[in-house]
Amino acid sequence: MFDWEFTLVLLTNGVLIGLMYSLIALGFVLVYKATDAINFAQGEFVMLAGFIVAGMLVLAGAPFWLGVAVAVLGMVAFGFGLERVVLRPLIGRPIIAVIMATIGLATVLRGAAPLFFGAETRSITLPISDEPFAFGPFTLPPVQVAGALLSLAFLAAFTWFFLKSRMGVAMRAVADNQQVAMAMGINVERYFAIAWGMAGIVSALGGLAWGALLGVDVHLALIGLKVFPVVILGGLDSIVGAIVGGLIVGVVENLAAGYLDPLVGGGTKDFAPYVLMILMLMIRPYGIFGKRRIERI
Amino acid sequence: MFHRESGYYKTTYAADMALYPLPIARWTVAVIALLMCLAPFFLHEYYISVINLVLVATVGALGLNILVGYTGQISIGHAAFMSVGAYTAANLAVRMDLPFWVTLPAGGLMAAAVGAVVGIPSLRIRGLYLAIATLAGQLIIEWTINHVPWISGGVQASIEVARPTLFGAQLKTQFQLYWFLLFFAVLAIVGTLNLVRSRVGRAFIAIRDHDIAAEIIGINIFRYKLFAFAISSFYAGVTGVLYTYYLGIANYEQFTLITSVDYLAMIIIGGLGSILGSIFGAIFVTLLPIVIRLGMENWGSFLFGNADINNLIPNLRLICFGGLIILFLVLEPEGLNRLWRNIRSYFRVWPFSY
Amino acid sequence: MRSFKSLAVLAGAAALALSTAAFAQKKEIVIGLQCDRTGPTQTVGVFLCPGYHDYIALVNSKGGVGGAMIKALEIDHEYKVPSAVESYERHKKEGAVLIGIYGTPQTLALTQRLTEDKIAGTSPGFGAAAAANGDRYPYIFPIAATYWSQAAGAVQFAKDKLGGSLKGKKIAYLFYDNPAGKEPMPVFEALAKEEGFQMRTFAVPPPGVEMGAQALDIAQRFKPDFVITHLFGRSPSVSIKELKRVGYPLSKVVSFVWGASEADVEAAGGWAVAEGYYAIQFAGVGSDYPVLKEIAAMYKSQGKPLPKEMASTVFYNRGVLIAAVHVEAIRNAVKAKGGTNITSQDVKLGFEKIKGFSLGGLVPPLEINNVDHEGGGWVQVFQAKGGKWVKATEWFKAYPTLLKKMLASGA
Repeated sequence: MFDWEFTLVLLTNGVLIGLMYSLIALGFVLVYKATDAINFAQGEFVMLAGFIVAGMLVLAGAPFWLGVAVAVLGMVAFGFGLERVVLRPLIGRPIIAVIMATIGLATVLRGAAPLFFGAETRSITLPISDEPFAFGPFTLPPVQVAGALLSLAFLAAFTWFFLKSRMGVAMRAVADNQQVAMAMGINVERYFAIAWGMAGIVSALGGLAWGALLGVDVHLALIGLKVFPVVILGGLDSIVGAIVGGLIVGVVENLAAGYLDPLVGGGTKDFAPYVLMILMLMIRPYGIFGKRRIERI
Repeated sequence: MFHRESGYYKTTYAADMALYPLPIARWTVAVIALLMCLAPFFLHEYYISVINLVLVATVGALGLNILVGYTGQISIGHAAFMSVGAYTAANLAVRMDLPFWVTLPAGGLMAAAVGAVVGIPSLRIRGLYLAIATLAGQLIIEWTINHVPWISGGVQASIEVARPTLFGAQLKTQFQLYWFLLFFAVLAIVGTLNLVRSRVGRAFIAIRDHDIAAEIIGINIFRYKLFAFAISSFYAGVTGVLYTYYLGIANYEQFTLITSVDYLAMIIIGGLGSILGSIFGAIFVTLLPIVIRLGMENWGSFLFGNADINNLIPNLRLICFGGLIILFLVLEPEGLNRLWRNIRSYFRVWPFSY
Repeated sequence: MRSFKSLAVLAGAAALALSTAAFAQKKEIVIGLQCDRTGPTQTVGVFLCPGYHDYIALVNSKGGVGGAMIKALEIDHEYKVPSAVESYERHKKEGAVLIGIYGTPQTLALTQRLTEDKIAGTSPGFGAAAAANGDRYPYIFPIAATYWSQAAGAVQFAKDKLGGSLKGKKIAYLFYDNPAGKEPMPVFEALAKEEGFQMRTFAVPPPGVEMGAQALDIAQRFKPDFVITHLFGRSPSVSIKELKRVGYPLSKVVSFVWGASEADVEAAGGWAVAEGYYAIQFAGVGSDYPVLKEIAAMYKSQGKPLPKEMASTVFYNRGVLIAAVHVEAIRNAVKAKGGTNITSQDVKLGFEKIKGFSLGGLVPPLEINNVDHEGGGWVQVFQAKGGKWVKATEWFKAYPTLLKKMLASGA
């Protein structure tokens, strides 16, 4: 019953799709790392970015690079605007307020996007070939490979950013203790805006990758639910954790679908990451790479 | 002048502990009760059906507010407990032919048990992590009901239930169901009012405000947190059973994540930690789509083309819903309840200004 | 107090504004239409409901039915059940003579109500398959192939494609893991026994955006001779992509009605990717039908551009089909009553007289009577070929005796 080739292919699938999940989780982690805000609307951000790209490509007939550029700029502007209008007034409020605000935002986006862009499904054609790379038993679709590489590129870029660059260090200071950062002369509000802007960039490229994979319509937002197992497993405020968490979720899903489904009769794929997540919450709530929060009375 | 709080002397303990010690409060409640009793005789069936939906939603909102508003534990899995209650009651009613006054508490108790289990992580984690754990609970419960035919009654995962029978008569029309639902809604409201005044309620509020300090003064937060989850889930289970009897069918697809979010919206807009707020929130969230639709139908043709209206109304409704949530959070964090209290304090010193 | 005041204001405003609704002499026949334009199935509703409204407009432009105009009152319920119940009560208040239900949980929730209020409700292409039994569910009319009929149709199609016999062959069933997806399983089990094929099921949990493992399992381990899929939302397009990726020929795949639209092909990457994919339909596909040309002419005569929803012919045509069957039932009712003062009871009887009504091939030759509310379970298979949907079979119904037996017993 244990088929090595099958398992290997499942693992590769899992790795690829896991890295695609990480792409979305990165947006979430960036925001949480810098501003302590939880973005329940991450899936809708990806959807909005996808709509912008698809809208530019299909409705306005723009070339590919222009569509992507507009999407990136649009999402950055959206992130800035969001932080200014919605999140700044909510600083210091209990966590449920921010959660509900982003849930409210998610609802608004789900209503507004089909209204402005139209509810039809559109596809995004990437300027890379559609034929899967096939070698041996492995078939790797180019979209997923591109998305995976994008995730890894972001991993490298953001790790460098937070460790070495001035802005990154300042952001970490703000995340650590806002008041002390302010006392050191760091403009906290500006860094909040920058963090949301960066999350906008990640969402834009995530929307591009997932839109090319799934087709762009309002259902794209559903991918947002996958974020939670990923970030809980990896750690809410860890970039590396987002990648590792995504890998774990992707691999577990595929192995569960391949091996557990025939035993149980189906559907374990969705179940398994959540069970893992609950176990992780009980044993080590801050995730594999997350920072341990010390409760101060 | 109207709302005078001083000058009332109480001479018995009972008078002091009464729910509504002030005469004006008593009069207000009496008038509302009278209106609620007279209303169904004068309103068209459609409006009664809307009020019925509001009544059921009130019970659910009260339950969630006990957990989130009074105890400070975030839960996004409220709808899952409703489906637990619904299926328990449906199975009991169909398999063992039990009447509603047995299946209703049974559904509530089963939901309470499941709720206590889902609440166990609340001892280790809080805030966002707890919210995500309850989200996982919601999805796992949905999955379980979907995949266990013994619970769900077969592939279609829905169980048809006969309407409740009272003294031999089946309650079928909106008018009859109104009394059925009103009874339980009033029971829930009075129960919650008393709960939050009691020792248990005070423990909940202490846990919400600062749970470590509460533990230090001797409140067993383990026990009380689980209790909060259990009570809240009991309310949710009862809500699920009420929906089942109202619709005549139990189906888990009625109780999805979106429903959980709706109830959260109800208590946030209504006001966390207040009973009147839960009622306001339930009314607001239930009526909002209807009001927007009516408004658009009657005046929308002045603003937009006719063919677009059908597409515009629903999307606009979503935008309004989300926008109002954000608006309330940003402008009035304590919700409709705070607005009401502002009005009340204005009248407290009326006609003076302070 | 405040809540009551606002309720009174609401009631007053509503009564004032809607005072045009009630009248004694019927110049207008009201139909209640439910739709989902903002919920999980909005990609269907946004195209289906305009098709419905366009057919009604066409009928009205020709003078309505018996001199009375038809008014289709659409209410969007976001695929939520309480909203659906509220919209049903609203429709009842407006005097609707029939309800076009939308959504399986909604159909289940409203069944008892509709029976109590004696108003007919239609549930085309969704809902409980058992509702085809008119004896048990007198007021629910599937009017189009239920999931059981679609399952039978899919097996029949596979049988024809595999040379007329399924003995010893393997069929995979890839389905969305919710009640609607699981509903056809009893039919498959019964047919597997009768026809002698081996069936294995592969569940795709919601939201179904990723099914690489299942596709792999199908293509590499199970290696079936045919694949039947029953997916919703975004998952059909994902299934096309994944099956193609693992090298399973799409010409051996047939999908149920909700995985069968232009949007699914588009999202899968275009017609070139989906070449060969078969899909079951319960309404004709494409713009080559007389009624669609009439609708286009109507738009042109009013000087308006064609609605863009018409391009999504799979869903749009289904909307037209539903409207057409509704209007036909009303026509029968008016004829039987001899006037336009019909009640919902008359319309229910009108449904049960529908026979031989096919709108130039867009509608199958439905025959609805008081025992069979489904009309026969007609399906038609189309194939994605050369950039559009091409008819692969004519209207057919499969395994009628088996289905009748299951309906009589299972219900």
